[in-house]
Amino acid sequence: MRKALPVAAPSLLVFVLLGGNAAAQPARDWLDRMSRAVDELNYTGTFVHVLDGTPETLHIVHRHVEGQSGERILSLDGARREIVRQGARVQGIFPDRRIVLFETRRDVSPLATALPTNAAELEPHYVIELGGTARVADRTVQLLEIKPRDDFRYGYVLWLDRDTAMPLKSHLVDEQGTVVEEILFTAIEFPADIPASALEPTIDTTGFVTQRATEAKPLAAEIPWRAAPPPGFKLSVATESQIAGSDTPVGHLVYSDGLATVSVFIEDPETEADVGEGFSTMGSTNVYSLTLDTGQKATAIGEVPRQTVRTIASSLSLVGK
Amino acid sequence: MTDQINDQISAFIDNELSADESALLVRRFERDDDARSRAMRYTLIGASLRGELLEPHPSVLRQRISVALSGATTPSVPKARERWTDRWARPLLGVGIAATVAVVAIGTLRSLNEASVAPIPATAIGAFPLQVSDPGRAPSYVVPQGTDLSRTVAPIRLTNYLIHHGEFASGLSRTSVNSNVLGGAGAIEPVAAETAAAKPTPEEGLE
Repeated sequence: MRKALPVAAPSLLVFVLLGGNAAAQPARDWLDRMSRAVDELNYTGTFVHVLDGTPETLHIVHRHVEGQSGERILSLDGARREIVRQGARVQGIFPDRRIVLFETRRDVSPLATALPTNAAELEPHYVIELGGTARVADRTVQLLEIKPRDDFRYGYVLWLDRDTAMPLKSHLVDEQGTVVEEILFTAIEFPADIPASALEPTIDTTGFVTQRATEAKPLAAEIPWRAAPPPGFKLSVATESQIAGSDTPVGHLVYSDGLATVSVFIEDPETEADVGEGFSTMGSTNVYSLTLDTGQKATAIGEVPRQTVRTIASSLSLVGK
Repeated sequence: MTDQINDQISAFIDNELSADESALLVRRFERDDDARSRAMRYTLIGASLRGELLEPHPSVLRQRISVALSGATTPSVPKARERWTDRWARPLLGVGIAATVAVVAIGTLRSLNEASVAPIPATAIGAFPLQVSDPGRAPSYVVPQGTDLSRTVAPIRLTNYLIHHGEFASGLSRTSVNSNVLGGAGAIEPVAAETAAAKPTPEEGLE
């Protein structure tokens, strides 16, 4: 009994702290279910991605088998572009440039254990609330609002399928309350099985230029760069990665608060990579690039407000310096 | 699907097509799945842009098809509280297959847009209006608003970064990142313009 006390006391404290917020539990449960649904369900559907009032239609096939997920996304409007992700391999096909990019993700996850793994851990930085119900893509959905507690992250309004918790519609909301991005499924199905062939690229890449990530030299397991991120963002990756089309590895840091993720890429001066200087945007993704005192070019990139990417990129320093 | 048909569908939904052309197009919907689904998609997008998706009866496509089938002059504004059964009774009897197709389309549209009993919080709709390019003008139903041409495009290196970044984003964000890569915003510009593209924007409004 005496041994149990040290364990029981903190447990009781946690119980008391969380007890005052018991009403938030259903909302957290929905968020946890959604996180699992996006990765673990089989689904195929068509969705509209609206950015600055301009819609684009895309088709997605997502397959999950024996703990491994893969997906294929095809742009249905304009240039027919496709991304195929299978395990750690990603293939981007751009017929308008006749280019195929092959990227490979390194499995470097020891730091990832520091990230929030459930919705309760997001609460210092987000208010998570359930709304009413509605209908999207001919299915009943549950509304879930995720409001940031500061201006370093975006908010979300999610319309989650009542049966599967899959987000059928989502708004990404900036610090002024403006919807910067909308994703809306117009049709979706959840087949029990999706054949592996459904993830095969549908674009004929004959004659395309292929850019692969080639490991010209061993990649460092850990890089010495660190940033001072806004509250709640924790380091999950600090390694070298190989970028398609370059022989020189690039330093890669990943910071996440559990929902929002910011990547920082640090280029060797020899690569003379063209990434610009200052702010740029790619869709709802903000980018901030600068040249460090040591000559490297650093670029922070993420679905977060501009000040967040700038704060992170500008605070880079060598560990121990 | 040719640009001409796309333009026709857009004009049809925007109520800018003549009665004859509308009737022809509706007959095309009867046999052309692609044209029909495109019309549905354009209507949904237009409704989404105007925040109508959660309203009970947006009914734009229904109205356009109904008018085309009956051969009546197209009203520019839908009549309030019009009984949909009255509007559908004659065309359904008279036009046969075309009407059947229309009913399927309308039925789908209505079910996509039906709000259920529980109300949506005002903050979810009103507080976060979707931004459009020109706030002074109602967004068109026409889908391709400069899909490929009007965006700032990124150098290939930033596209590499974005794909790589997507691998570490949460499941929710990954769809967004991939959409940014595939859409006009993430386009890879011609090599000759690579240096000039992705021009950083000024730091206005930041501390």
